[in-house]
Amino acid sequence: MDEQHRDAFETRTRALFQDSVETIDFATRSRLTQARHAALEAAKGHKPWFLRWTMWTPAAGVTAAAVLGVALWLGSPPRQQVGILAEAQSNFEDLELVASSEGSGDVMEMLQDDIDFYDFADKVSSPDPAA
Amino acid sequence: MSTPIDTLNTAWMVWDSLAPAVKGAVLEYTRELEKFLAEIERRAFRMAQVALRDPDDALDAVQDAMIKLTSNYASRPSAEWRPLFYRILENGIRDLQRRRTVRKRIMTWLPGLKEDPDNEAQDPLENVADAGPAIPEKLMQAEAMQQLEQSLRALPARQREAFMLRNFEGMDVAETARTMACSEGSVKTHYSRAVHALREQLGEVW
Repeated sequence: MDEQHRDAFETRTRALFQDSVETIDFATRSRLTQARHAALEAAKGHKPWFLRWTMWTPAAGVTAAAVLGVALWLGSPPRQQVGILAEAQSNFEDLELVASSEGSGDVMEMLQDDIDFYDFADKVSSPDPAA
Repeated sequence: MSTPIDTLNTAWMVWDSLAPAVKGAVLEYTRELEKFLAEIERRAFRMAQVALRDPDDALDAVQDAMIKLTSNYASRPSAEWRPLFYRILENGIRDLQRRRTVRKRIMTWLPGLKEDPDNEAQDPLENVADAGPAIPEKLMQAEAMQQLEQSLRALPARQREAFMLRNFEGMDVAETARTMACSEGSVKTHYSRAVHALREQLGEVW
């Protein structure tokens, strides 16, 4: 009997409470909605750990560097790599020749000889005005 | 033959296909959280109002609890949200009650100062929800609820908490124990004592 009274009491209190919840005035409902939106906005700044950029940035940086390195290495074929190396070596030898000091001395000597020859040829070809 | 550009494009395509999945997870998680809060907010407000009397304080307590839940515990499984939310709310209610007590003591020591009339307890009938036309049945229900609220406020905090979580929120003993951070046996004791005290205060007829 007492258990029945207790159940009836609990049922009545629950029904009264539920009724008071359903008849909350519009202004309060509106403020509750605003509070909910404010809380959800605040949550955007506090994402769960698995979605935080700070968690993934170091890993993403290392991965991106690794992907880039592998892409650059695998992207150029072996023969092309050999050709690039040979071309670079040839250019280096040309540069060495140009920069060599021995070569530059010979060229100056040759240029001096040519000037003497052109001077001689000019005198021979032109008639002597005194003669 | 693949070039470095092709390989990079392939890598970016993999990343682009992952990005919508992450965005989708965030959207889904936000939607679930909003649904939970929308479902719980009115009952939480009324329970806070029962404890605090003042609707503005009750709204503040509910909003603080929402913000703390979404900021600190949203990544927890959704099944844990309800006990966590009500534990935060109850802690907020106790903080507000302590602050009130301190404020009252200060006001008592300083007779020249009077408490802000806006913060004084309001006429309980002002807080009764809009009931449309004033029909007698609705008035009787409002009065009965008013009596219940007064009796609940007279209970010790743990008994009031156990009664509201079990009876108003519909939690089972285990969930109530998680919310109140105590054993299931303690919940049963608090609840039983609360029901007994309320029935004594409200009378058999009520």
